[in-house]
Amino acid sequence: MDFTISEEVKSAQQLAQKILGDFTEVDKLKAIEQQEERMDTALWQALAEAGLLGLDIPEGNGGTGLGFYSLTTLCEEVGRTVAPVPVIPVLVSAAGTLKRFGGSAHNEKWLGGIASGSTLVTAGLEEYNNDDPTAPASTAQKMDGGYSISGTKICVSLAKSAARILVSARAGDDLVVALVDPRAAGVTLNAQRVTTGETRHELVMDKVQVPTADIVAVGREAVAAMEWALQATRTALAAMAVGVCDKMMRITGSYTSEREQFGRAIATFQAVSHRVADCYIDVECLRLVTQQAASLIDQGRPAEEAVKMAKIWCGDVTHRVSQASQHCHGGTGVDRDYVLFRYCELARQIELTAGSSAQLVGELGQDICADYLAKAG
Amino acid sequence: MNIELTTQQKALQMEVREYMKTVMTPELLEEMKIPEFKEGGGPEFRKQYARMGADGWIGLSWSKDLGGKELSHVEQYIFTDEVVRSGFAYPFLTTEAVTPVIAANANAEVREEVVGGVKQGKVTIAIGYSEPNAGTDLASLTTRAERDGDDWIINGQKMWTSLGNFADYVWLAARTDPDASKKHKGLTMFLVPTNIEGFSLTPVHTLGVRTNATYYSDIRLPDKYRVGEVNGGWKLITGQLNIERLSLFTHGQVASLYEGVCEWAAATDAPKGGKIIEQPWVQHNLAKVKAGLEVVKLICWKQAWAMDQGPLDMADASVAKVYSSEFFVELYRMLLEVMGQAGTIATHSPGAVLKGKLEFRWRVGAVLTFGGGTNEVQRDIIAMAGLWMPRTR
Ligand SMILES: Cc1cc2nc3c(=O)[nH]c(=O)nc-3n(C[C@H](O)[C@H](O)[C@H](O)COP(=O)(O)OP(=O)(O)OC[C@H]3O[C@@H](n4cnc5c(N)ncnc54)[C@H](O)[C@@H]3O)c2cc1C
Repeated sequence: MDFTISEEVKSAQQLAQKILGDFTEVDKLKAIEQQEERMDTALWQALAEAGLLGLDIPEGNGGTGLGFYSLTTLCEEVGRTVAPVPVIPVLVSAAGTLKRFGGSAHNEKWLGGIASGSTLVTAGLEEYNNDDPTAPASTAQKMDGGYSISGTKICVSLAKSAARILVSARAGDDLVVALVDPRAAGVTLNAQRVTTGETRHELVMDKVQVPTADIVAVGREAVAAMEWALQATRTALAAMAVGVCDKMMRITGSYTSEREQFGRAIATFQAVSHRVADCYIDVECLRLVTQQAASLIDQGRPAEEAVKMAKIWCGDVTHRVSQASQHCHGGTGVDRDYVLFRYCELARQIELTAGSSAQLVGELGQDICADYLAKAG
Repeated sequence: MNIELTTQQKALQMEVREYMKTVMTPELLEEMKIPEFKEGGGPEFRKQYARMGADGWIGLSWSKDLGGKELSHVEQYIFTDEVVRSGFAYPFLTTEAVTPVIAANANAEVREEVVGGVKQGKVTIAIGYSEPNAGTDLASLTTRAERDGDDWIINGQKMWTSLGNFADYVWLAARTDPDASKKHKGLTMFLVPTNIEGFSLTPVHTLGVRTNATYYSDIRLPDKYRVGEVNGGWKLITGQLNIERLSLFTHGQVASLYEGVCEWAAATDAPKGGKIIEQPWVQHNLAKVKAGLEVVKLICWKQAWAMDQGPLDMADASVAKVYSSEFFVELYRMLLEVMGQAGTIATHSPGAVLKGKLEFRWRVGAVLTFGGGTNEVQRDIIAMAGLWMPRTR
């Protein structure tokens, strides 16, 4: 048992902190928020040049090969700075899956461009009322030279500028994982504004012809790919939530130490300081379950249960820390000229992405039931 | 980053688990049915405690010159976790908290007598800190020790002196300088043999266990029983409190309750068909318990690991205390809900689920949030040490 974080991973995280810090002054964030697409391309390029887009991409494909754990620390830093960069859909859900399940053809075709920042591949894992990409309602029909895919994915990041969107669809009993070109015939992108204020897209696919070259996996391999994608995405969201919540709580600690009412800093009221202390406890709990899930995935060990628990904590802690931070700020907390609201919006977005706490508590309960019924014989 | 036990650590875990099964003899289980002996102190308890000493299981964390094995904190935690899980009333405060302090600070003769006795499983020590008017504000305690030649004359009353009814000594905090500029600067630590003239006690029966009020009436105590410097007691007390918490909140004891309830719910029919565990609300409670328990495990491991790396971060220690104590209480409730009315049937009554263990845990659980350093003060510490917020008033 060893909680040590290696020096390489630490220095990559510190480098990310520095670059992200430089690019996320309020005026910059405001400027990006005016764009149609919520992405800071200059920052993305800076991250690429520092080798940070390739943390989980092998050296042979232009990455730095530090692994999945290291990538989650980048996600944490992006959360800490609310930086407008698509680390999770591009680097975790899409690149991570391609790296592990795409075989050499896809690796060679995509990973280098993703690491260098020249190519964006995003992912559309969720459908309406369904965040399980191993059981999509979207369908795929085998045809000459590939598959014809129909169905709808929601809240897809960067759907317009991405070269491809990683999706799954059902072909009878088989699952298919494919890269859909958003410019292909049969694709419609409908803008969806989400809680963070950014524009994402509903991806409607109507008999979109996907050539064999863009098929990532079929059958059991495809199921394994989507299981991995879901677990990795949930874990990365939890890691991002660690950064978001840690920062919100520190902002609140500082604010309440400065703000005076009744002639004293409001932090000297126990009712206030204890609410912030509770956030500190929550963040530590979230950090521990997240580190556990991330290190299991990093080592290629079974992680399903650990990931579910991490995402349950993630949903609960983002909610609690966000509400406590708002409450302890009073009116300032909701002011759009103050920093906090961005964190609260991102917290809610993360909470409801890839499975809510209530849903996952339900699933975990079913798993426990199946496990103990089996043991009881 | 690899948060799993190594093969050796797992082997140690299993070794302790198997050994403790031999300690929990049918005779001991029978003896523990007597309320007086539930927390230890009976003849069979003494026999097994002494056997643990003879078999070399006591003081594993101590330095080699005290006869210990200098186990790492991680290994010590694994040992503690398993011993608590077994249900044996092992006197952790004696072995892990107080004895090392005595070893480092006591006069040679007393060190031999006490440390040697503990090592053999023959000596237990009660903690005499709290008083009727000194609880959270411990430094305001008023039990007096006055110098008289080579002796000290001790007068006062302690409250909640657990194990005092069978312990061989009380580890006593007394005021030696009533005029000290700060009240925590006038305290000194003593070991008071419980067979000394002037020592007496009356039982205090709590919601859960028996404890005691202890009285010190003109006790003449030789100076050799003073531990550490005169007026230097505070640092011996506070150094010990962090260690105390490490044995209060371990994972195994509550994990086994969770596993027990899952097994019970999978084996027991629900009124409208199927098993209890197939009901969604039961699954909900069990999942909440599991997700919370996971953090107890990780927090315990992280603390033990961190102590092997260097001094424990103050805020982290408080996080562990607050989280675990509040979650334990939640866990008892969520598991009791699964059992419903049957959860109220006490140990040894027909129909008691899991031998009434949860019914009893709830009773002792009320102490967790204020005992071992109340959670309000822990939150003050977190705000100050973890978030640099100003001291609350
Ligand atoms: C079963 C049992 C066994 C025990 N065993 C021992 C033992 O072996 N040896 C020993 O020395 N002691 C023992 N204790 C005593 C225990 O350590 C004390 O109960 C504890 O320190 C709290 O003190 P108190 O009970 O006087 O409560 P108080 O200090 O009066 O606290 C009452 C309430 O006030 C709150 N409060 C106090 N100060 C503050 C503050 N600054 N800010 C906010 N809230 C505050 C507390 O959080 C608590 O909720 C035992 C107690 C019990 C019940």
